[in-house]
Amino acid sequence: MNKFNRWLAKFLPGDEYGTDDASGMNKRYKTFRISLLTTMLTISMLPATITAAIGYFQYRDLLQTTEREQLLWNLEGAHKTMQALINELHSSIEFIVREDRCDEILEQGTLDTMLIRLKLKYNGFVDLGVIDSRGIQLTYAGPYKLQGYNYRVQEWFDQVVSRGFYISNVFLGYRNIPHFVIAISKKRPDTEEFWVLRATINADTLQNFISTINTKASDDIFLVSRTGKLQTSSRFFGNSMEYCPVCETSSHIHDIVKLERGMGDVLQVSAALENTPWMLVLIKQKYVHQAAWSSFRKRLLLIFLCCSVACLVISYSLSTMLTNRIRETDEKRQSLLTEAEHSNKLASIGRLAAGVAHEINNPLAIIDQKSGLMQDLLGLTEDFKYKDKFYTSIAGIQNGVSRCKAITHRLLGFARRMDVILEEIKLNELIQEVLNFLEKEAMYNRIRLELHFQEDLPTIYCDKGQLQQIFLNIINNAIDAIGKDGLISITSGVLQAKDVVVKIQDSGPGIPPNILKHIFDPFFTTKAPGKGTGLGLSITYGLVKKLGGDITVSSEVGKGATFEIRLPIKPDKSAERDKNE
Amino acid sequence: MSEIKVLIVDDEVEFAATLAERLELRDIAAETVNNGKDALSTILVRTPDVVILDLKMPDLSGLEVLNGIKSHDPSIEVIMLTGHGSTSSGIEGMERGAFDYIMKPIDLDLLLEKINQAYEQRTLRKQP
Repeated sequence: MNKFNRWLAKFLPGDEYGTDDASGMNKRYKTFRISLLTTMLTISMLPATITAAIGYFQYRDLLQTTEREQLLWNLEGAHKTMQALINELHSSIEFIVREDRCDEILEQGTLDTMLIRLKLKYNGFVDLGVIDSRGIQLTYAGPYKLQGYNYRVQEWFDQVVSRGFYISNVFLGYRNIPHFVIAISKKRPDTEEFWVLRATINADTLQNFISTINTKASDDIFLVSRTGKLQTSSRFFGNSMEYCPVCETSSHIHDIVKLERGMGDVLQVSAALENTPWMLVLIKQKYVHQAAWSSFRKRLLLIFLCCSVACLVISYSLSTMLTNRIRETDEKRQSLLTEAEHSNKLASIGRLAAGVAHEINNPLAIIDQKSGLMQDLLGLTEDFKYKDKFYTSIAGIQNGVSRCKAITHRLLGFARRMDVILEEIKLNELIQEVLNFLEKEAMYNRIRLELHFQEDLPTIYCDKGQLQQIFLNIINNAIDAIGKDGLISITSGVLQAKDVVVKIQDSGPGIPPNILKHIFDPFFTTKAPGKGTGLGLSITYGLVKKLGGDITVSSEVGKGATFEIRLPIKPDKSAERDKNE
Repeated sequence: MSEIKVLIVDDEVEFAATLAERLELRDIAAETVNNGKDALSTILVRTPDVVILDLKMPDLSGLEVLNGIKSHDPSIEVIMLTGHGSTSSGIEGMERGAFDYIMKPIDLDLLLEKINQAYEQRTLRKQP
């Protein structure tokens, strides 16, 4: 927990007052805001991203499965059709080689008739030949002179003898026309010897047939041998007899072997055709790029983007707001601390000053009386050489004493507990009364007074004498600051319906910032020694605070100074308490 | 016109003595004591017209002495000397029967005026 708190403290600003300067604090707030923003974004964006990703892949898989199934279904259909063709070819030839017709078709005429019949049914039949067990072609019907040709050494002959049925791959042969061979072997019922009927068919037949299998689900459909040689032409891999590298399939063939191979966005399915060396291949390109998929992706992207923007906006504004809130609270706390420190300082200086003043008062009284006595006695004495000098010296002492008296009285006044007597006060009238005292001095110094009073200023409950002293001090100070020729403008008004505000603005030389800081400190004066005690504004500050108000000063060098005094319309509890004490 | 008799009560010996001397110069019979006890014992022997009484003294406080004086002879007028720069204790003294109060360091002319006023009031009171 401790560790966690320390970790948290790294991100939270405003823990070290005083040690950080303003720019350091700003940096801390910035870091805090950024980490807050990052955290919020992560928290909000992570589930959205995960959901979107799951949706994306799930839907893609679903589409893929659907399309694959459709393609397979197509393959099955095409496979059945092809198989039917092959079976029909098979059965057509099978019909010719019924066991009992061996001798019949050995006759040239019969074989020719058979070929014509077959050609009527399938134009692709080229020739027919009957071969005996030694491999010699006994009878031949067709365009080539192949009678007596020996097939004994050829591989297909062994296969047809052992399996009874054979279909060859498409090949050119010495005819140089793509064709394939269907051969069937039978045993002669009398001699138990094999004989074989061999039919040659143009590869065009396959090509024409496969072209009739019109599929929407696939982009390419073709036959291929197990070694990868194209048997019919392919859209993607070239014409018949060419080699198709991707079509090489496993050698074992079952009834229907479905081979699926995904190449990027290409899906290939294939199935072996029964009793043939061929594979039927269907190819579908861009199989997940259909309209449904792209519109889904667009919509998903749009929703995700909207979510992201919303998250970003909310996170950004929230983190900014939170940071500002924290900063404001910090600043408020800081200013409260500073203020408390300030009033504390003033109070302790005040107490000290009062103690000193009281101690000085008694000896001062003695000096006063002694000098008074000297003066009295001097009046009773005859003239002597230095009498005038004595008189002036005594006057000097008494002048000094009265200056000290003024200081101690003000000091004691500053420190003592003042009795607050609350009464209804019309502030505008009160300021006017105070101005009556000062008008002559202002006039003498050619200082103009401008009054901007709010006519319907509410009556406040306050101590009249103390208010008079406050305004007397401030306006007097303004006159002193201007010296000769200038303007003092006094404005009164209401602030937030609970305070009245009086602004006193002078056209004096202004107050430099380093002095402005200390302006309410006791004994702080810029006047020549003996001209001011440095207590006026300090006492004013104390009085305003005592009355539950506030006094602030703002100034710029060369632009004069403005004192703003805020007083509550109704006295708060502290003023009441002072009254009761 | 008979001389006004004044008793100055203050623990500051120098102050009391000097003030007494200055009053003597103005034809006022002034006597000094430097604590409350002496003040109370003195008024038993010689009744003054006006007592000038410091509020802050080490043994008996000014207000206690004031009570003593007033219970002995209410017609003796008392002027309080306050050193606090505060009006509140002066006003408290007046509530308890003091004639007036004056702040230290005192203005002699003001004090003289008050002494004369106090004496006049005492004369008025003594008349039947």
